[in-house]
Amino acid sequence: MTDVPELSVIVPVMNEEPNVGPLVEAVRQALPEGAKWELLFVDDGSTDGTVPAIRECARRDARVRLVELARNYGQTAGLQAGFDHARGAVLVSMDGDLQNDPADIPALLAKLDEGFDLVAGYRVKRQDAWLSRKLPSWVANRVIRWITGVSIRDNGCSLKAYRRELIERMSLYSDLHRFIPAVAAATAGARIAELPVRHHPRTRGRSKYGLTRVAKVLSDLLTIKMIRTFRDRPLLLFGTGAFAAALLGVLFAGASAYSIAAFRAGKAEALVLPAAACLWLALSWYLIMLGLVAETALRHARTENPELGPIAHQV
Amino acid sequence: MHTRFDVPRPGEDPGSKPSLQLHEEARPDISVLFLASERPEGLGHLLRDYVEPLKTLGRSVECVFAVEPWLRPMTDELRRLEDPEVPIKILVAAYTMGETGLVRMATPHCRAPRVLIMSAYHRIEPAALPDLLGALDDADLVTARRWPRRDSWLSRLQGRLFHGAVALLTGTRFQDLGSGVRGVRREVLEELPLYGDYYRFLPVLAVRDGFRVREKDCAQHPLDARARVYQPGVYLRRMLDLLGLYFLVRFTQRPLRFFGLVGSVVSLTGATVLAVVTVQRVGGQGIADRPLLLLGVLLVVLGVQAIALGLVGEIIVHFHAGRHRQYRIAKPESAED
Repeated sequence: MTDVPELSVIVPVMNEEPNVGPLVEAVRQALPEGAKWELLFVDDGSTDGTVPAIRECARRDARVRLVELARNYGQTAGLQAGFDHARGAVLVSMDGDLQNDPADIPALLAKLDEGFDLVAGYRVKRQDAWLSRKLPSWVANRVIRWITGVSIRDNGCSLKAYRRELIERMSLYSDLHRFIPAVAAATAGARIAELPVRHHPRTRGRSKYGLTRVAKVLSDLLTIKMIRTFRDRPLLLFGTGAFAAALLGVLFAGASAYSIAAFRAGKAEALVLPAAACLWLALSWYLIMLGLVAETALRHARTENPELGPIAHQV
Repeated sequence: MHTRFDVPRPGEDPGSKPSLQLHEEARPDISVLFLASERPEGLGHLLRDYVEPLKTLGRSVECVFAVEPWLRPMTDELRRLEDPEVPIKILVAAYTMGETGLVRMATPHCRAPRVLIMSAYHRIEPAALPDLLGALDDADLVTARRWPRRDSWLSRLQGRLFHGAVALLTGTRFQDLGSGVRGVRREVLEELPLYGDYYRFLPVLAVRDGFRVREKDCAQHPLDARARVYQPGVYLRRMLDLLGLYFLVRFTQRPLRFFGLVGSVVSLTGATVLAVVTVQRVGGQGIADRPLLLLGVLLVVLGVQAIALGLVGEIIVHFHAGRHRQYRIAKPESAED
């Protein structure tokens, strides 16, 4: 184990054997001589020679470290494992396929020094297939920006720099690695900046992404929106829904009363509209109860697991 | 021989803490845990049959019997046995808790690094046990597959359907989760939260948590061969188990994907129905006497309810994410191959 580093570069990898050596060399070249850094690989269940390749690099250079996950858990868990095991005051995450360029790290760190908590890279002249990668990414970024309200051009770019204070306030799970800026803003009040970064075509190994992730991105957006807007007041979310349902209930009840009074409705008419009104009112009641359950769960979680508050920005 | 009774109080978490002091003796190499929960057989006979082959391994063995309260009289026979080589502990549950509860209750009392768990009746040939335990050298959990089978075709068909469903829902391939005979490293029992009726699915849950799991063929015992036709309630329970397992394996970290999908489909169907009714109303057709209107509202309400439940699930997951990591480290950083 080396001295405690100032910078941790975190690289989740899966089946990237041919890229390990070149990546270590690229990081070594990119960071200034004398800087205290560590390169932390998180192996996410590789089945090729990735782990031995990393071990060989670690044997030659003690700044290279390996965290080996028990199976393939996905990129979010890999990244969180890296955050949990990194020792630096500043952390940088990047992909292990050499499409990100470690030479951009110094610029990210300089931007972070301007007082930001998170600097997100955005890929210029992106070297990916248009239909399967660039187009879905373009659509997803716009939808994410619109729904989360966090204006980030390229949520899919893994090259990001973080302060430790921010990482200590975030927990990534499910597939939240795609929404790190939105999560950082929601849970820690992070100050976020963007910086253009280089992007190279993949020269070795195989891409693990596919179009299926678009559907996952869209389904996760609702969660992100909720976390961002209602994480501290779930009753407001459910109460709003309950109010809308109650309004519909009253509307149907009114229509029912009018129908019966004006037309002396028959049996079916007397049944349908009041029944629909009852359903809306029942939904309203259900949502209020659910909101109270959510408040209880929130209270319980806050007591059991007190979180660090948002980052304070001194001016 | 050491005989010990341990009786957790009703309502107490059976696995939370041992209520008596454990032995302060050298740890054995293997703990054999017998779960006496159903199909009672003579426990002394069982002990002799299954422990003898283990003595050939040249390792120290202890036996732990976890017994449901209604089977307590059967333990009298055990207390009369004397075997200086194999210490015996008898743990009687305070209330009926099923095999999963018995495993949780007994785990703190199994002191060996390797635990062999089996139901307290003959399921596999005792001669298969040494190989089963040997397979633990390069696995964290080894589950016995009764093979070759002596069962009727009906039992085998049920088994195939069940395991096909498990494979489809969880993405894991096992051929005999029902054998109940498992060799387990202690850490698996300590790290995996077991509750409900999930002992049956321990191999599936272990795979999901990144443990190395193997299935090993073990000859079926003649006493285990039978036509397995259960009461309807048993089949219903299995189906609910499968649904629960499916949700646990796929959606524990992302409940909204499950509830959101179900809720979206149902509420969009309802919205479509309401749109049709609205168009008809605009066209001059009355809607106050249309049950279709009621159906549309009902579907929207059900869909919104499902989505709202998913949101509550997400809130719970989000606020507990800081304490629970969804990954497991394969080995400490310093460990080399």
